[in-house]
Amino acid sequence: MIRVENLTKYYGNLRGVEDISFRVEEGEVLGFLGPNGAGKSTTMRILTGYMPPNSGSAWVADINVSESPLDAQKNLGYLPENNPLYREMTVRAYLNFVASMKGMSGSEKDAGIQRVVGSCGLEDVANRLIGNLSKGYRQRVGLAQAMVNDPPVLILDEPTSGLDPAQIVEIRNLISELKGNRTLILSTHILPEVNMVCDRVVIIHRGRVAAEGALDALAANMQADFTIRLSATGVADALSDKLKTVSGVARVELLGTSTGEESHFEVHAKGDDDIRSDLVAAVYAAEGKLTEIRQIRLTLEDLFVRIVSGEQEHDEETVNA
Amino acid sequence: MHNTFFICRRELASFFFSPIAYVILAAWTVLMGFFYSGAFLSYATFSMQLARNPQAAAQYNITPTSAVLEPVFSSVTVILLFVAPLLSMRLFSEEKKQGTLELMLTLPLRNGQLFAGKYLSILFIYLIMLAITIVYPIILSAFVKVDWTIVSSAYLGTVLTGMAFLSVGLLASSWTSNQIVAAMIAFMILLATFLVEALAIAASEPLSSILRHLSLGVHLRNFIRGIIDTRDIIYLVNINLLCGFLVLRSLEYYRWRG
Repeated sequence: MIRVENLTKYYGNLRGVEDISFRVEEGEVLGFLGPNGAGKSTTMRILTGYMPPNSGSAWVADINVSESPLDAQKNLGYLPENNPLYREMTVRAYLNFVASMKGMSGSEKDAGIQRVVGSCGLEDVANRLIGNLSKGYRQRVGLAQAMVNDPPVLILDEPTSGLDPAQIVEIRNLISELKGNRTLILSTHILPEVNMVCDRVVIIHRGRVAAEGALDALAANMQADFTIRLSATGVADALSDKLKTVSGVARVELLGTSTGEESHFEVHAKGDDDIRSDLVAAVYAAEGKLTEIRQIRLTLEDLFVRIVSGEQEHDEETVNA
Repeated sequence: MHNTFFICRRELASFFFSPIAYVILAAWTVLMGFFYSGAFLSYATFSMQLARNPQAAAQYNITPTSAVLEPVFSSVTVILLFVAPLLSMRLFSEEKKQGTLELMLTLPLRNGQLFAGKYLSILFIYLIMLAITIVYPIILSAFVKVDWTIVSSAYLGTVLTGMAFLSVGLLASSWTSNQIVAAMIAFMILLATFLVEALAIAASEPLSSILRHLSLGVHLRNFIRGIIDTRDIIYLVNINLLCGFLVLRSLEYYRWRG
């Protein structure tokens, strides 16, 4: 549905993106992640036909954006990062204008406007001036604008930035409702958002694709070892020694001891085998009492930090070489 | 074609939403009325003096059209020098500032349609402004015989000159995201075309003719005298084409730079 091949864009000497490639299948929600200035917006602007790339090609709805931008643009809805709105228009007039520009007319247009006014919760403000609306409502108007012609592809650039927590939840719910029947690219640097709505992520860093894949698969790849956080009361040294004897344990770290003789350990396992029950047994064997045990999962934050910092190390290596 | 119409309609709605529309229209009406009544009254006095002295009257070749309407039409250029930048300054600047230009450039819309829509919207406003002035020759015709061919030629000239002025304003607007800067640039360019005429008087041939031909104001003068010269028409139309072309270049550049 969406294909990006070897896309490169420089702003003068400044790197926007370099040699980016990825695909999004029909009906998929792709999270587009990266730190600020990584090239997320640049990629999206190229995809929407706003900006021509220096080299490489992009396809939206299987139409080459550079070759026939107008056809590609008819098939996509785009919410730019700064949510461009005409403040002097009413919500309805604005949606009417965008719908007309997207080639809708007559009852089809009326129905389209009615649909997005409903789905974006704009009934109460439809006849108000956009300039007088709150930021949350404006963001909804921006979304409504992108969806008014029910395009097969939606590209949303940081749809929740600058909103308060309640508004973020509203917008997220709205996006979740869109899942399934549309191909969606969502850029963000807010990670929980990705966890909630995206099927797959592309992480870009310094203008390149740093990682790509399903969230679970990415986490599994990055999770070199299996880590378990464990707390127990008892003699710390005895506990530590017993834990080390459990087969499959690579390393045991004593993180600290809190009041009430409770010790906290971090146990690193060698393989993928679940050794939690063995560890519990070891604790009792050392005559300790287990107070807490949990597996540490790599969160998207950890993943992101690892990828980003890994890239940096890699970059430094190349520089040194 | 449809898209051009939608852009034009949106621009007009937006224009009449802002107070600047009414300020411009009011100022225009007052100023034109001032110029007209001045010319009308001085002609009335002058013709009464000449009526008492038929020999002197024969020496002057004065018609009511030339005496009253010529100065009125000439003053259009002067007022337009201020009004054209004001009319056109917001068209691209505001969209750049608000970021809506990004929306425009990602909608299924050609750059040319965007330009045409915006251009037509201010042309439409300008035509409304000119339409108001039609009352002047009509009032005049109630008292004396008006040469309608000259009036038509003068209107053709003012429309064409106005179009050239507006396209210069539109071009300046496409260069910056600041409306004031856009208006100032347009004003400077238009002012320069007047100063060129002054230079032409001082310069020697052939530079003088070239400078004279470059001046926007000179071309209007022929139309006002009832002379429709293809050179004038071509010159004015060329300014529109040049500005249109440069606006499209400017939009392309904007896309590249992001």
